[in-house]
Amino acid sequence: MAVKTYISDDNKHLSIQVDDRFDFSQHQHFRDAYNKFTEKGTLFTLDLSNTQYMDSSALGMILLLKDHAESIGGEIVISKPSDSVNKILEIAQFHRLMTIES
Amino acid sequence: MTVVTNKADIKLALVVDDSAMQCKVLSVLLKEEGYRVFTANDGARGVAMYIKYQPDLVLMDINMPVMNGFDAAKKIKEISPNSLCPLIFITSLDSDQAFIDSIDAGGDGILVRPFSPQVFKAKIKSIQRISDLYSQIKKLQQEQQKDAELAEELMSGVIESRNYGLDKISIVKKPAALFSGDIQLTVLCPNGDINILLGDFTGHGLRSSIGAIPLSETFRAMTKKGFSLIDIINQVNAQLYDLLPIDLFLCATFVSISAHEKSAYLFNAGLPDAYIFDEQGSIKHQFSSTHPPLGVLPNLMTNSRLTIVPIDTEDRVVLISDGIIEAGNDMGELYGIERFEEAAIEGIIAKDLAHVLMENIDKFCAGKDQDDDISLIDIPCGGWQRQIEVTDKIETVSHNSLEAAYQTTSPDWQWSLKLVGKSLAAVNPVPMIMNQINEIEGAGEHWQNLYTILTELFVNALDHGVLKLSSTLKNSAEGFTQYFNEREKRLQSLEHGFIDISLNYFSLVEGGKVVITLKDSGEGFDSLKLFKNHSSTQKTEEMLSGRGIELVNQLSDTLEFKESGTLVEAVYIWQIKIN
Repeated sequence: MAVKTYISDDNKHLSIQVDDRFDFSQHQHFRDAYNKFTEKGTLFTLDLSNTQYMDSSALGMILLLKDHAESIGGEIVISKPSDSVNKILEIAQFHRLMTIES
Repeated sequence: MTVVTNKADIKLALVVDDSAMQCKVLSVLLKEEGYRVFTANDGARGVAMYIKYQPDLVLMDINMPVMNGFDAAKKIKEISPNSLCPLIFITSLDSDQAFIDSIDAGGDGILVRPFSPQVFKAKIKSIQRISDLYSQIKKLQQEQQKDAELAEELMSGVIESRNYGLDKISIVKKPAALFSGDIQLTVLCPNGDINILLGDFTGHGLRSSIGAIPLSETFRAMTKKGFSLIDIINQVNAQLYDLLPIDLFLCATFVSISAHEKSAYLFNAGLPDAYIFDEQGSIKHQFSSTHPPLGVLPNLMTNSRLTIVPIDTEDRVVLISDGIIEAGNDMGELYGIERFEEAAIEGIIAKDLAHVLMENIDKFCAGKDQDDDISLIDIPCGGWQRQIEVTDKIETVSHNSLEAAYQTTSPDWQWSLKLVGKSLAAVNPVPMIMNQINEIEGAGEHWQNLYTILTELFVNALDHGVLKLSSTLKNSAEGFTQYFNEREKRLQSLEHGFIDISLNYFSLVEGGKVVITLKDSGEGFDSLKLFKNHSSTQKTEEMLSGRGIELVNQLSDTLEFKESGTLVEAVYIWQIKIN
């Protein structure tokens, strides 16, 4: 599956990795990946290092994750976006909405 | 016998077999499963029966006279390539090759004799289940297609058909296989400027067009009322934020082209770079996205501002959506920025950018279906100068009404507003005044000139009076940018200073008169010198500064500077034309 999740031992940190294509076809998988995590103050790391392509519906999905994270007092960090993905994040100026770690 | 029965109730099966015995056996089994059965004894007859009855299921023998089963199957699949009707080969050829050939010929399955009635019925059921699923998907797909078509129609037919200036602006819109929410709007401002928007909503089909109607209404209404572009963007953002779900938003570039100011105002929120090309196709300016897409944040980010650049009449502003950059071919390559820029330059030199670019993209994609809409707006910077009617008003106004116009009677109504300090930076009084006039006196063509007069006088009072900016700065392109930066800075830190605006309205027998007075807190200027300079300059329209006053002078009946230039009074008289 293209969406993988890793949970830290203390249950406070969820890392989501989306491989290959991050587009509307991943919608359900992506939601399922974080929806159950309602632990207060959870840190969601979205690892995009293996994402080759991302479309605008993926940007929408990231905003949904951000909304979820903020609703439980948590945070979202985008980690290591590939060059092509970073370009898309940059055009959408997402660094002004959330932390993006290169 | 009439053939086509109510298909919803009874399914039709066609059995093609040269053995009458086999036909009979299969017919009995199919009838037990609720099918109505037709039979044919050779392939050619089978094809003819298929065309006539359009069955829901075909059972086909392989070895038959006249036309064998494989050929008949190929014919049938050729006739209706998208048919939902499954075709099963019935054979006693129990070999791998027979199986492979069956599938190659377009068969959906194979049943090898001998088989029990139970196995046969199970096979029919399973194949019918798949076929039902297929027809369900087909139905859903058709509904989705209808939605997408509706969305597309809404965009182009209802919303974009009201666009302005399409004889000069070229707009290309090539919707993807599934329409993807690109929107293009062009609207004329009351002062003759043009406001343009290229937008790309997230999502596909109808979902992507939810925001289109409020967006176009707001963009049009506010433009026509004379609101500044940044006010419009603010409002659009707030509206989309309230209206759209979290994962739906609008990437958009906004442009305002002011021919008389010789400048362009741009704002890019989430789209690829916008361009200004000169006549030779060189890139003069490039505008990257500086703001997240609209509808994501409740308010625009602080310090959001338009980029202002000087333009020449031969320049062209070119806006594109990401569909162009991401157009792909079968080799998995993307069209990309470099190819776009090359083709754009070529197109500008050929004076037909849209055409050259689209041909280039088509050639690159070589017929591959696109996932995203491809859209482009190409706007000339010149040719927008509104024709100012500088008719000699003394002649057109009849003697009686002229006399009435200058009689000092009390006004029908008065309106005044004093803006002090910070409120000067926050409030644009011109749309308020225009709204007031429209409400009291009704809408009318003649208000356009009044709008221009008010705008120019207000900008002059603010820039040169209160903010003490020198218009000579605007004489060079570098100074131009400096001027607007300085203006922004002074406006932000404005603590004191005021502008007092008052309007006196007098109705006349065949029209009306408005006396506009503006008093500012500035130091004033030598108004005599200003006009002397103008008359000594042969081509005043080539000067970057001072145009405003020249324009007001042409539009109003009298224009007078008093109190050493800190007070200006303009009188505007119009006639209702009775033919």
